Amino acid sequence: MIYDEFVTQIEGHGRIYFDIKDGKVVEARLEIHEGSRLFESFLRGRRADEVPQMSSRICGVCPVPHNMAAIQALENAMGIEASEQTKMLRRFMISSQMVQDHALHLYVLAAADYLGVTGISEVYAKFPDAVKRCVRIRTVGNRGIELVGGRAVHPINSIPGGFAKLPTREDMEKIAKDFKAILNDCIETFRLFASLKCPDFERPTEYLAIDDGKHFPAYAGRLVTNRGLKVEAKEYRNHIKEVFKPYSNTKFCVMNGHGFHVGAIARVNLFKNRLNPTAKELLRESPVKFPSDNPLHNNLAQALEIVHYAEEAIKIAEELAVKLKDEERPKPTKAGTGVGVAEAPRGTLIHEYTVDKNGIVKDANLIIPTGMNTTNIEEDLYALLSANINKPKEQLKRLAEMLFRAYDPCLSCATH
Amino acid sequence: MKPKVAIFDLTDCEGCEVQIVNSKFIDRVLGGVEFVHFRLGQRVNRWEEFDVAFIEGAVITSHELELVKKIREHSKIVVALGSCACFGGIAAISNFMDIKEAKRYVYGENADKIETLYIKPLPEIIKVDFMIRGCPIVPEDFERVVSDLFAGRIPREHTRPVCMDCKSKGNPCQLLKNVPCAGPVTYGGCGAPCPSAGMPCDGCRGPLEEPQMSAELELLKKIASKDDIVRLFRKYAPMAPLFKDVGGEKL
Repeated sequence: MIYDEFVTQIEGHGRIYFDIKDGKVVEARLEIHEGSRLFESFLRGRRADEVPQMSSRICGVCPVPHNMAAIQALENAMGIEASEQTKMLRRFMISSQMVQDHALHLYVLAAADYLGVTGISEVYAKFPDAVKRCVRIRTVGNRGIELVGGRAVHPINSIPGGFAKLPTREDMEKIAKDFKAILNDCIETFRLFASLKCPDFERPTEYLAIDDGKHFPAYAGRLVTNRGLKVEAKEYRNHIKEVFKPYSNTKFCVMNGHGFHVGAIARVNLFKNRLNPTAKELLRESPVKFPSDNPLHNNLAQALEIVHYAEEAIKIAEELAVKLKDEERPKPTKAGTGVGVAEAPRGTLIHEYTVDKNGIVKDANLIIPTGMNTTNIEEDLYALLSANINKPKEQLKRLAEMLFRAYDPCLSCATH
Repeated sequence: MKPKVAIFDLTDCEGCEVQIVNSKFIDRVLGGVEFVHFRLGQRVNRWEEFDVAFIEGAVITSHELELVKKIREHSKIVVALGSCACFGGIAAISNFMDIKEAKRYVYGENADKIETLYIKPLPEIIKVDFMIRGCPIVPEDFERVVSDLFAGRIPREHTRPVCMDCKSKGNPCQLLKNVPCAGPVTYGGCGAPCPSAGMPCDGCRGPLEEPQMSAELELLKKIASKDDIVRLFRKYAPMAPLFKDVGGEKL
């Protein structure tokens, strides 16, 4: 059979199904029909050094966090302690990815919802300056990933222990300048999205992100929520459960039996005090205040993060421009199981691997941001549709899809 | 009249579509063609005759199997975009595994409810006019094929291995360092990003025409275990001609 059209302008293939009877929402489902690639199965039997590159293939839109979470998990499994410099370069790669990917989602996928147009060609025809700004931002974000990781889509040389090849101090100096040159474009992006009308809606929920004790979430840390959860990443199984739904190839995640939200809005809600200065300044002038319980404000949080992560990239690049040095890559010291966490544009990402004494992966488990958001999306759909129950069905469908899109879902990732 | 273009994605990472957006060409593409079907980029999509349809991703569900046949019927030219479409991609590694066990490992008792087809490269399912290879594609290949097609030229195939790209970058040879590398038999034109980043080529673009496969395997046998040789070719283009035969008695 061929399904009707899937939801447009999102990564991957899914539909929203809802049923209304006697003025009440009786069913609201997120159906995910992405094919199952079975990553966890075929990563078993691979050499640990191949896995970070292969894992990045889970997602061509956000390959860096997959690469990073895999590396960190493998390092924990094999007893490798990465250097401070390596961790800085990894945070730099994630920052570059955030800048690049948020710009893609906001301008190419989400903008049409807010600007009242049908898609990218129309955005280009009517708002050419916005598209050019998007291209400028993405070009530098891509360059940042490429400089350290070897390639923008599917990094090559980031491996357990460090990097197969390091950039030079001159490279870092140059990329810092490149990021500075787009900072104004990033600010303009925030101002644009702050000026756009967003549907009113509110539903309090639990927000989750990672906390390394120091930075705005990016690379490694404990799992924390606004409702008091604070646990080591390796304990994730005690808190996050996966549930099978007959209408979805993606497993749904729940925490204590309910949905929870990961992503830009969760990071900003939890850690707005750790934002870089310009982002903080913009937040003060923002018409929307955070913490926010409107899931559609995720888009504005993304726009704010573009500014924050661009500043972060500048900060790291400037520091490494004077102190980057060649380092010996630490070697594995043991076999075992390890968990790695990173923030993907779409939220907290968890990889877990068991490596045997020959360096072969024996077990793999991946918990993906959009998988974590699935239950929360359904809970939001119920609430949003119920609050707008008197609107015509076609309008409800558009509204439901707009909500779904605001999560920046990636169903390719979620199903993997 | 602007050429009518469709871009479809099947099961995959959508990284090749991201590479299209990454292309310096994107301005000209957005201004120069009419997207009649492009789910990732627009809300309103139509089934009418496509001058060119790009298909990215692997056929894993029966929906996708029917869909690619329908696309073929609507298209003058079909281009396979990326190694998932050209060669089954990374997910096709499971073609070489016990698929029941592979599904049980991920979905437990619900494994039977998940449909996964034996993953065939797109050219084994429908007629494909051109392939843009790679995991991911390089934007330059996309630009070249698109300019050729819209100028009425037949896009030329690359005829040199990745080694030529690698040499022109001045990289040290991975094989000379005893690192297993698929460069000598792999379809070039990518600019050798992997060896340039200090890693071996892992054959993501599939084999070039008439590669010296047996010589490559003889060489690899001297520096790598049988398992590692199989892993090298069973990665991003596992169902590519010749690559899919690596393993078993031949090693």
